[in-house]
Amino acid sequence: MDIYVQLLVNSLQIGAVYVLFSLGLTLIFGVMRIVNFAHGEFFALAALLVAVAVPWLIDFGAPLPVAYGLAFLGALAGVLVLGKILYEFAFRRFQRDMIGSFVLSVGLALLLQGLYIEIFSSASRKLPTLIEGTLRILGGAITTQRLVLCVIALLVAVGMYWAIASTRLGKALRAVSEDHEAAMLQGIPYRRIALSGFLIGTLLAAVAGALLAPVVVIGPVIGSSYLIKGFIAVVIGGLGSIPGAIIGSILIAVIESVGGYYFDPSLATIAMFVMVMVVLLVRPAGIMGNG
Amino acid sequence: MAKLPRALLAAASLCAVIGSYFSGSDFAANLIIWVAINVLMTASFRFVLLIGELNFAMAGFVGIGAYAGGIATTMYHLPLALALLLGAAAAGLISLVVGFVTLRAKGAYFLLVSFAFTEVLRLIYSKVDVIGGNSGMIGIFPPAYLARFYPTIVVLVVLFFLFVLYRMERSDFGKILVAIRNNDDLVQTVGIDVHLTKVWCLGIASFVTGICGALLAHANNVISPGDFSFLVAVYTLAYLKVGGESHILGAVLGAIVLTLLAQYALGFGAYEHIFYGAAIVIGVLLLPDGLFGLAQRMLPGRRRPEGSGS
Repeated sequence: MDIYVQLLVNSLQIGAVYVLFSLGLTLIFGVMRIVNFAHGEFFALAALLVAVAVPWLIDFGAPLPVAYGLAFLGALAGVLVLGKILYEFAFRRFQRDMIGSFVLSVGLALLLQGLYIEIFSSASRKLPTLIEGTLRILGGAITTQRLVLCVIALLVAVGMYWAIASTRLGKALRAVSEDHEAAMLQGIPYRRIALSGFLIGTLLAAVAGALLAPVVVIGPVIGSSYLIKGFIAVVIGGLGSIPGAIIGSILIAVIESVGGYYFDPSLATIAMFVMVMVVLLVRPAGIMGNG
Repeated sequence: MAKLPRALLAAASLCAVIGSYFSGSDFAANLIIWVAINVLMTASFRFVLLIGELNFAMAGFVGIGAYAGGIATTMYHLPLALALLLGAAAAGLISLVVGFVTLRAKGAYFLLVSFAFTEVLRLIYSKVDVIGGNSGMIGIFPPAYLARFYPTIVVLVVLFFLFVLYRMERSDFGKILVAIRNNDDLVQTVGIDVHLTKVWCLGIASFVTGICGALLAHANNVISPGDFSFLVAVYTLAYLKVGGESHILGAVLGAIVLTLLAQYALGFGAYEHIFYGAAIVIGVLLLPDGLFGLAQRMLPGRRRPEGSGS
C-alpha cells in the first residue's frame, strides 16, 4: 500500500512539471501551427537564470525567500524577452509552415544550447533548499519543497485551463487554433493573438523551469530531456489539444515513476516510445486529436 | 541539365577519386571519408524529404548499418563488400517494417516518432552486451590489403549511390514521390498506393543510409551508442538547409562546405553546437534555397524554368 501511495506521489510531482511544459508546447502548436523544438531552451534559461541569480542575490545580503522571489521574477522576464526576440526575428515568418518552423527551431535549440554552455559554463549547479522538511501522506513521503512546487504548478495549470476556457483571450486563442481564417473573419486579430499565444507558451515553460530550479541539479542542457518527454506527452494526447496535453503528461509521469521503480529508467523511456508508436498506430492524431 | 555541368561533375568526381587515392592514410584521408559519407547521408535524408517528411530515424538507421557492418566484420570476419551490404540490408529491411507502422502518421507526428525511434535504438544499443553496451564495439577495420584503398572505395561507393538516388528521383517513381508531397489525396485517387510508396521511399533511403553507417564504422574503427543520437540527423539537416534542398547537388554542396568548415571551426574549441545551430538558422532565414539556389541565381543563363522547390 505504502509503495503505491509513494509512486502516486512521485508521479504527481513529475507530472506537474510535464503538464506546464506540454501545455506551452501544445498552445504554441495550436495557435501558430509550429512544432517548437526550442521550447526546452526557454525552460533551461529560466532554470539557469534562477541558479545564477539566487547565489548572487544572497551575496548581496538578501534573505533566501527574497532572493528566490526576485530571481524567479527576473527569470520569467528574461525568458519573455528571449521569446519575444525569437518570435519577431524567426517564428513570425514561419507560422503554419510545419517543416520550415521545425527546422528553424532545431537550429535555434542547438544554437541556444551552445550559447548557454559558453555563458553559464557546463558546470552543474545545485541551489540551497528553500523550504526544509518532509511531509508524510498515507505512508508516502515528499519533501515540503517539492509539494509546494507541485501545488504551484498545478495551480498555474488549472488557472491556465480556466483562462483558456472562459476569458476573452482564451476564447480567441481557441478560435484561432481551430480555424485561424474563420477566426480572422470574425474580427479576431490573428497576429496579436498568435504573439500572445506564443508568449504564454514561453511563460509556461519559464515557470516550469524556475519552479524546478530549487529541487534539481541544473546544467545548460537540462532542457533536452524535458523537451523529449514533453513532446511525447503532446503527441500521445494530440498536438494542439489542451486536455490531451494534460492526459499525455500524466501518462508519461506514471510510466516514468512506476517503470523507473520496478525496472530501470531507460526501460521506462523505451516504454514511453513504444506507447507513442502504439497510440499513433491506433489514433494517428493522438488520443484527443481530431483529423 | 546542360552538357557543360555534366562534364564538370564527371571531372569533379574523377578528381575526388584520384585525390582520395593519393591522400595517404592520415588526416586528409579521414577528412575525405567523412565528407563523402556526409554527402551520401544528406542525399538519403533529402530522398525522404521528397515525400515531404523529415526523417529523423535516419540517425537510427546509420547506427543499424554501422552495428550490422561491425558485427559482420568483427564477429564473422566476412569480406568488406558483404559487410557493407549486410549493413545496408539490415537498415533497409528494418526501415520497411518501421516505416509500415510509422508512415501512417505524417508531418509533425512522423518526425516526432522517427525522432523517438532514433533515441530508443540508442538506448537499446547501450543495453545489449554482445555489441559492447555503453562502451560500444571496437576493432572494425577494413581488411589489411584494402586499407590503402579505403578512401577511394568510400568515394566510389558514395558516387555510385548518389547516381542511383539521382536516377530514382528522375524516374517515374521519383515523380510519384514529389506528387505525394504536393498532394497525397490526388495521388491516391489515380490508384497509386500512397502508403506503400512512402514505405518503399523510406526503405530505399535507409538502405543507402545503412551503407553510410557501415562505411563509417570501418572508417572510425570504433562505434558506440553515443555516435548515433538524433544529432546526426540534425547535422544532416544543417548540411541540406545550407546546401539547398531543391536539387541533389545542393545536398552534396552543403555537406562538403559545412563538413570542411566545421573541421576548421572546431579548431577553436567546443563550438560544435553553436556552429551547426547558427548554420541552420542562417540557412533557413537568409538562404531559402541554400548555396545551390544562390549559385543558380548567380548564373542567370542557366536558370531552370520550373519554380523553386518548397
